[in-house]
Amino acid sequence: MIDDRTATREAPGGSAATQAAGRGPAARRRRGVTQQQRPLWLLAPGGILMTLVILLPLLLAGYLALIDLDQYTLRRWLRAPFIGLGNFTEAFQTGLLHSIWISLSFAVISTALTVPLGLAAALVTQNAYRGRGWVRAIFLIPYVLPSFVVATVWRTMLQPDGIINALLAKVGVAGGLWLSGPKSYWTLIVVEIWAAWPFIYLMALAGLQSVDGEVHEASAIDGANWWPKLRHVILPYLRGPVLLACLLATLSHINNFTLPFVLFGAPAPDDVNVLPMVVYVTSFQGLRFGLSAAMAIVSLLLIAVPLFAYLRALRLDVHDDGGRR
Amino acid sequence: MTRRGTAAGEAHRLLPRPLLVIITLFLCALVLVPVLYILLASLNTDIGVAEGQFWPSTFSGSSYTRIWTTADLAGGIGNSLVVCGLVAVASALLGTVTAYVLVRYSFLGRLTILRGLVGLQSIPGTLMLLPVFVLFASAGNYLGITVIGTRWGLFVAYLTFALPFSTWVMVTYLRGLPRELEEAARTEGASTLVILFRIIVPLSLPAIVVSGIFAFLLGWNDVLFASVLTRPETHTAAVALQVFGATQEGGALPVYSQMMAAALICAAPVVVLYLIFQRYLVGGLTAGGVK
Repeated sequence: MIDDRTATREAPGGSAATQAAGRGPAARRRRGVTQQQRPLWLLAPGGILMTLVILLPLLLAGYLALIDLDQYTLRRWLRAPFIGLGNFTEAFQTGLLHSIWISLSFAVISTALTVPLGLAAALVTQNAYRGRGWVRAIFLIPYVLPSFVVATVWRTMLQPDGIINALLAKVGVAGGLWLSGPKSYWTLIVVEIWAAWPFIYLMALAGLQSVDGEVHEASAIDGANWWPKLRHVILPYLRGPVLLACLLATLSHINNFTLPFVLFGAPAPDDVNVLPMVVYVTSFQGLRFGLSAAMAIVSLLLIAVPLFAYLRALRLDVHDDGGRR
Repeated sequence: MTRRGTAAGEAHRLLPRPLLVIITLFLCALVLVPVLYILLASLNTDIGVAEGQFWPSTFSGSSYTRIWTTADLAGGIGNSLVVCGLVAVASALLGTVTAYVLVRYSFLGRLTILRGLVGLQSIPGTLMLLPVFVLFASAGNYLGITVIGTRWGLFVAYLTFALPFSTWVMVTYLRGLPRELEEAARTEGASTLVILFRIIVPLSLPAIVVSGIFAFLLGWNDVLFASVLTRPETHTAAVALQVFGATQEGGALPVYSQMMAAALICAAPVVVLYLIFQRYLVGGLTAGGVK
């Protein structure tokens, strides 16, 4: 606030100086002044919101994980008993490792299977042809549809008397249960792949577009066949973008709550009891809030390593040379 | 001319034509078969869908008219539109202002904030939900302000979670904006706020639209926070659909056709936004990395 007032008070003097001294040097002097009169107060509204609703809750989550918080102590949570790491030991004794394993394997398998789909989609839409605009729009449909819509329609299609089992019955296959029991794990993976592969496609497409036209022409003159050319000339260009895409995709698979929640309902079957579901059910159905906070902290630690790797690799300080998107 | 064009096209072609056709058809079918089924089922009758028809024996739009009385979809969509619309405007505005300071001025902690903006997007929502719930509940218990169950409580939550991404979109855009105009205005004596709203905002409207739309979508697509922070009267579209889906399966006659119609209605605003702003949005989809 104070910064701004001094800045505006200074403004008329500044323009007077401009008139007296001419444009060049005055402009330089003004720039010096503005560097000192930084309007940092403009950061306040966003900063206060993010501090109150993101940073403070993050710290609070750390504290909640250390106290015995349930529906009785919730109203006066400041007086709830402190039990140290008790919630963490209980979490691991009650099958958190199982959920960690389900979450990690689900995320890695989903990412691994979306990569070939996304790469293939990027390769077939790189060259212009009539109707390519339509194909590109179609490829993005699963990604644009809200997760809760995708989960709702798959849930309906996969009902025991739903269309998938009806079609399977026509070819003589008994479909059985898709939304509970051991098959539910693969249901979750298949639906996640259906919804998420266009992300890899978009990232691979961005990578492909950075390949120079000269590279294509040079390998065409060499008479390279399509496979060696793809393998040794084009794919190396895509390594970086696709690896980044894999990292981000895996993080969002691990964090995905909406899909299992809407697909299977809460509490989820044991085979799809991923971390977000356990955390949610433990607090808002089991009402063991402290235990749930401890589980949430564990899931944060799980994604912390890849997240930090990503943040370190990110180029932040491109000041003037960062191109306009 | 044409011959040269096709020759260059051949040189750029990455896959032989038959393979290209097969892959394209496969991927289009992968997407379109389920989408086609949703459309057909929504135009079928509830009994027809329950019998396992792929192609309806009779087409009717009755599911689209009956759904409004079967489930409280209208209330949910109204709440979602109000909350997410306000979130879009507020988040784009705050994001622009915050990004402007982050891009144009250097100060201690700037890089940490930039890094934080990206990092916060990957924090699991399930980690945030409980402490936010406890804080909001405490506002009621200790300060007497009711937050949980209200639309504005949801607004505050969505606005804050949308801010890191909105700001990041604006940071990447403003970096590429030349400084000359602002500096000319500053030598004329314009204050920071005047510069922001008379120069920066008009110049960066495409990016502002993108950051607003993504803020809208964050709210529209959320189930986690809405399921805990709303009452039946303040349900969002996502919660209305989820509750409808979970409860109708217990009934004697499943209303699958109406489910599909409801799902398509909930997807409609998103699809419309996407069709209008497709060109701008594709860049934003990859910038965030999270849906």
